[in-house]
Amino acid sequence: MPEVQPKQQRKTDIGPPHYEKFLPPIIKENYGRWKYHEILKPGVMVTVSESGARLYTVRAASPRLLAIDKIRAYADLADKYSNGYLRFTSRNNVEFLLSDESKVDPLIAELGALGHPVGGMANSISSIVHTQGWVHCHSAATDASGVVKSVMDELVDYFTEMKLPGKLRIALACCLNMCGAVHCSDIAILGIHRRPPRVERDKLKAMCEIPSVVSACPTAAVRPATIDGVPSVEVIEERCMFCANCYTVCPAMKLNDPLNDGVSIWVGGKVSNARTEPMFSKLAIPFLPNNPPRWPEVTEAVRNLVEVWAKNARKYERMGEWINRIGWPRFFELTGIPFQKEHIDDFKHAGLTFKRSVHLTH
Amino acid sequence: MAEQASVQEVADAMYKMIKDSMGQKKWKATDLTKAVNELFGERCDKNIAKSAIRDLIESGKCVYTYFGGSFIEIPHKEGAEN
Amino acid sequence: MPEKKRKTPKLDELEKGAWPSFVKEIKTAAEKNAMAEDLLGQLERSYEEKIGHWKHGGIVGVLGYGGGVIGRYSDLPEEFPNVSHFHTMRINQPAGWFYTSDVLRKLCDIWEKHGSGLTNVHGSTGDLVFLGTRTEELEPTFKELTDLGFDLGGSGSDVRTPSCCCGMARCEWACYDTMALTYFLTMHYQDELHRPAFPYKWKFKMSGCPNDCVAAIARSDMSIIGTWRDDIRVDNAAVTEYAKSGMNIERDVVGNCPAKCMEWDGKEIKIDNKACVKCMHCINAMPKALAPGKDRGACILIGAKAPIVEGALLSSVLIPFIKLEPPYAELIDLVDRIHEVWSENGKNRERVGEFIQRVGMGNFLEAIGVEPIPEMVAHPRENPYVFYEEFFEEESEENPKP
Ligand code: SF4
Ligand code: SF4
Repeated sequence: MPEVQPKQQRKTDIGPPHYEKFLPPIIKENYGRWKYHEILKPGVMVTVSESGARLYTVRAASPRLLAIDKIRAYADLADKYSNGYLRFTSRNNVEFLLSDESKVDPLIAELGALGHPVGGMANSISSIVHTQGWVHCHSAATDASGVVKSVMDELVDYFTEMKLPGKLRIALACCLNMCGAVHCSDIAILGIHRRPPRVERDKLKAMCEIPSVVSACPTAAVRPATIDGVPSVEVIEERCMFCANCYTVCPAMKLNDPLNDGVSIWVGGKVSNARTEPMFSKLAIPFLPNNPPRWPEVTEAVRNLVEVWAKNARKYERMGEWINRIGWPRFFELTGIPFQKEHIDDFKHAGLTFKRSVHLTH
Repeated sequence: MAEQASVQEVADAMYKMIKDSMGQKKWKATDLTKAVNELFGERCDKNIAKSAIRDLIESGKCVYTYFGGSFIEIPHKEGAEN
Repeated sequence: MPEKKRKTPKLDELEKGAWPSFVKEIKTAAEKNAMAEDLLGQLERSYEEKIGHWKHGGIVGVLGYGGGVIGRYSDLPEEFPNVSHFHTMRINQPAGWFYTSDVLRKLCDIWEKHGSGLTNVHGSTGDLVFLGTRTEELEPTFKELTDLGFDLGGSGSDVRTPSCCCGMARCEWACYDTMALTYFLTMHYQDELHRPAFPYKWKFKMSGCPNDCVAAIARSDMSIIGTWRDDIRVDNAAVTEYAKSGMNIERDVVGNCPAKCMEWDGKEIKIDNKACVKCMHCINAMPKALAPGKDRGACILIGAKAPIVEGALLSSVLIPFIKLEPPYAELIDLVDRIHEVWSENGKNRERVGEFIQRVGMGNFLEAIGVEPIPEMVAHPRENPYVFYEEFFEEESEENPKP
């Protein structure tokens, strides 16, 4: 047991500091009084208050995984250009909050020199929301940061320019747990296992309760079994959908498999209510191999999806809206992705996803 | 009306339940609350149960654990630890 | 300073290219920190073998809390002894992710002393993540964090760290004060955030308008999304400016309105506000000319989650419109009723959305005391298997007419 300070000295349940401490004066003065905003150029936005005050935001890409040295570099930039004020976005970009327009361009230049491109606003690709992958996760079926880096190296021009028909949101999760909104993204990259768990009997006995492992499985693929006189579990392979629920409650049910783990690609989800209602992403490519360090098959697939959409979509049309207009047969035709058995849902209520009309283009 | 159970009494009862079923069952906070409610009847309410759990945890007799869901267990060296 | 132990040819590839490189970040930290150096080594190994090398630890934490620390151990501790323990600490971020350079530096100093020097800014739920430290460093780090005025966030079956968009701090579309509500909920539910007592996790996410910049509708058990109920404010002079600057208002704005409730005659926009579904499209397209109305509040939706365990769900409407102002009594009352019903009846690892699927939305509404209304459904049921609960009985002696 680690040393713990005496109870009376410990502060607990204090919560986070109040956000007001970190707001620049211009925001405090104009809180709730903003009138409109305008994107001046890629990654630069001005928000104008009823009072006439103008707040300039400069948004730069970030790898999310940051060394403290980089955070200190951000702090130095904030001191130099934005009186020490900065924030981060829900997609892990860093934003500097300036009151002085003349400092915008010098800041962009310094960010560029630091290796952080400015952009990610309006009709562009913003940073990829992603999970931990092999850097920190125990259940990862692929790496996260490496795939993201490879994909964004390929697509960086779409971040620094605003040449797309609409917004494009990419997300990556390294397993079906999906610690990120990948299931409602224009393009989702999802790590997948393809083999059932291997029961490590000795460990299972020591680390897990059999009833919890059995009840963890949504398809009842895990059942109690006595093996060589010892209570354990067995997995009915045909029932397993490789979701790793059992592994989450019991570390003796490993699914990772270098040969069979990989990535699937999903398209057409959105969370915003603009125009159409929020939608889930749908399966586009059931399996691509893990091919580190650059995942060429994945980067190529994503690039293809972005380009076909960019070429064919109308103004403002998100990936899913575009596909709904042209129909899935045409989507598969234009992208050249083969349609196969895995694309057809066979989980609960699967029938709702079948085509139940003759509204078809021929 | 019966006199209310003391927090200590309830905490001891919880500790015993956890100890007796180690390796077979993991207890969640709500399971413990329900179990002591049954045991003590109207002598124990949710607030007493809550204080009892807090005592167990803050005295170090029990810890919260997380394996897919959160549980209350007696501290032990974990399987994954190196 | 640790000596350079090993070569990392695979990871070195990821230092190239225009996108900022996480490998560079790890290498920078590794110059001064042995944990970061071993992380680099183990990660290179994963790149060679195409497999992760972490084990989940479920016990570590700080005294008294059941959340905020994620235990990790290397499964190659002999080769990479410095990441033998590599636990994560989730630090509750300030609402809206605003910081000053000063406070960031102080956070960095703490992590330089006690951990790997690596972070995630931020994690998926919204916390500031300190990535990688040893069990014995958890308490000292926690002490320094609380001295600086920070606390740990949630993990496990508790209230997870609430998060929100920047709201009124910088967005003219915010229909309620997302940061104020986030701070309020975080403080109000401190106990539930640190001491897991639910069947599974509970997430709150606050977005100021239907653009939903924090993906509340996809990711939170309770999604609080700003909206309004009066008329969209229109500045026709500004609309004309947009038209003059080349915007095709007829095709791109009017043509995309899902409610087909707009008209543009070249001089004036006319909106049938009764029919408008508050989707934000026209406002997004012309932020200088259009704005949400003034009678602002939020829609409360319930039940979103990622696939684990029974499949992904989007949140659905629970309260179509609510005014959100301190002390938020109506909201807290609603949340407490939901927590009570779900805690009492939910199964282990059952999110509230799955719980609702299992018991039925109608029964759930009854249990929490909310009236069913048509706004809650896309359409009424299609299947005829109704579990009728009301019926008449023949009049008899035991059952006389009232
Ligand atoms: S991976 Fe999922 S489906 Fe397969 S046995 Fe485990 S819990 Fe069941
Ligand atoms: S907000 Fe949406 S529904 Fe309402 S008028 Fe504008 S485009 Fe139409």
